[in-house]
Amino acid sequence: MGIPIEKLKPKRVRKNIELTLWERLYIFEIIRGVTITTKHFVTNLIGFVLPPKGEKRSIITVYYPDEKVTLPAAYRGRPVLVARDNGTEKCVACGLCEKICPASAITIIAEERESGERYPASYTLDMSRCVYCGYCEEVCPKEAIVMSAEYEGLAKRDRNNLRYSKEMLLRSEKSVKDRIEYIRGIYSKCNY
Amino acid sequence: MIPDLIESILKILFIFGVNIGFFSPILGWVERKQSALMQDRVGANRADIFGFTIIGLFHPIADAIKVLTKEDFIPDGADRLIHTIAPFVSLTPAIIAFAVIPFGGQYELFGHKVNLIIADLDVGILFIFAFASLGSFGAVLGGWASNNNWSFLGGLRASAQMLSYEVVMGLNIIGVIMVYGTLRLSEIGAMQVDLFDWGIFLQPVGFVLFFTCAIAENKRAPFDVAEAESELVAGYFTEYSGLKFVMFWMGEFLEIVTISALVTTMFFGAWHLPFVSDKMLVDFFLGFAGDNGATILAMVVNIITFFAKVVFFIWLQMTIRWTLPRFRYDQVMRLGWKMFLPIALINIFITGLVLLVK
Repeated sequence: MGIPIEKLKPKRVRKNIELTLWERLYIFEIIRGVTITTKHFVTNLIGFVLPPKGEKRSIITVYYPDEKVTLPAAYRGRPVLVARDNGTEKCVACGLCEKICPASAITIIAEERESGERYPASYTLDMSRCVYCGYCEEVCPKEAIVMSAEYEGLAKRDRNNLRYSKEMLLRSEKSVKDRIEYIRGIYSKCNY
Repeated sequence: MIPDLIESILKILFIFGVNIGFFSPILGWVERKQSALMQDRVGANRADIFGFTIIGLFHPIADAIKVLTKEDFIPDGADRLIHTIAPFVSLTPAIIAFAVIPFGGQYELFGHKVNLIIADLDVGILFIFAFASLGSFGAVLGGWASNNNWSFLGGLRASAQMLSYEVVMGLNIIGVIMVYGTLRLSEIGAMQVDLFDWGIFLQPVGFVLFFTCAIAENKRAPFDVAEAESELVAGYFTEYSGLKFVMFWMGEFLEIVTISALVTTMFFGAWHLPFVSDKMLVDFFLGFAGDNGATILAMVVNIITFFAKVVFFIWLQMTIRWTLPRFRYDQVMRLGWKMFLPIALINIFITGLVLLVK
């Protein structure tokens, strides 16, 4: 079944379009065009003087530094480490993210606590190399690294300042809750 | 003698203040803001003083500061003298042309006759045409003296375009002159008291052609082939910076005002409200404002009417400028010589026939 083959064929492209006499007179087409732009001008002018509240404003430009868009959970911003409630990282320093990172942006030095639990003694994420692919998040077995909605402050005068340490990357679980729920839906990880 | 002097100085100051102090800086803002609104954008609104932005009205000030502190650059191999003179040649006629445009009628104030026109020449229209043609020299000289191929091409295009559109514009004016029987702009204005005496009703074709040719003469879109950003960088003022660049810019804006004023004077009843003559206005105010007060009030109403019409035509020109794409160069020439010239000639012919029959 599917779409019949005739419908998939492109419609005949009109070449050398013959203008009608009305169009060739040009002045009426100009008036039509000016009417359209005037309509936009007047609507926006009214919206400019009396800005309608809420979503239904005619100019949808976001006044960026003053206003910010709320990003959807699917947005892949800067990767951050998720912290437990007591402030320590969830990361167990398995090294999977370090391995899979296509840009080699992650460097982990693992250590063991006395309880036998592994943890990263140092976790360095070089944001000058990160390509925001999200593989680290996908591969992580502990939901310890997720792509946050942060997109600001990523321009620095010195590249060395873009090397984020573990402390700079830690975020509370609550702040990245949406994203964690979202990735549970899109990735099939064994432990969910 | 002394009252005449005072009157002249006041009129010159007024026109200077309105044109250079108000229109030329505000039009830069209008162009930005209006194009933004027409294209569903916000437009320039970031320049602020102590956190106040007032819908971007500080941008002209920011522009002025930027321009004044910019380096005045003359390229290698340019003709230094002509390169310097060209912007003046472009700006000065645009300022001068307004001298013969009436912005109000004639009044009797404190026993002194006040004529709201700086120079009431009996060849007012010809004067304006002479200076509009002089203005085109600015583009041509600037393009030639810059020693730059883009500028040169822009100058060439400007000269050819202005030459052809000047012809049609002149022929259009002939129709108006035939109808009103005078070259004096203040008389043409004074004749349009009744709504159906307005030039738009007597010369509708003439109005459309004149307005189009005036836009073409001013080198603004859709006829901006002389500066054509996408083809010639900036055309004839590619090699200009700082104040000289702004002089070209101001010349263009002032020409917009002049064209609007001219169109208002010749086709849209000058300073008259529809169906209201100067005398009726004075009589209306006479009831409560005394003799001189009534005259002054009538004068103010007339001036406001005139400038309201001018503002409307400025708005119309801006709308057209941001609605239509640029003509190809050969299309501009074809439109000028093959379409407008015959139409203008036929218009003169028909006007003559009608006048003869009447």
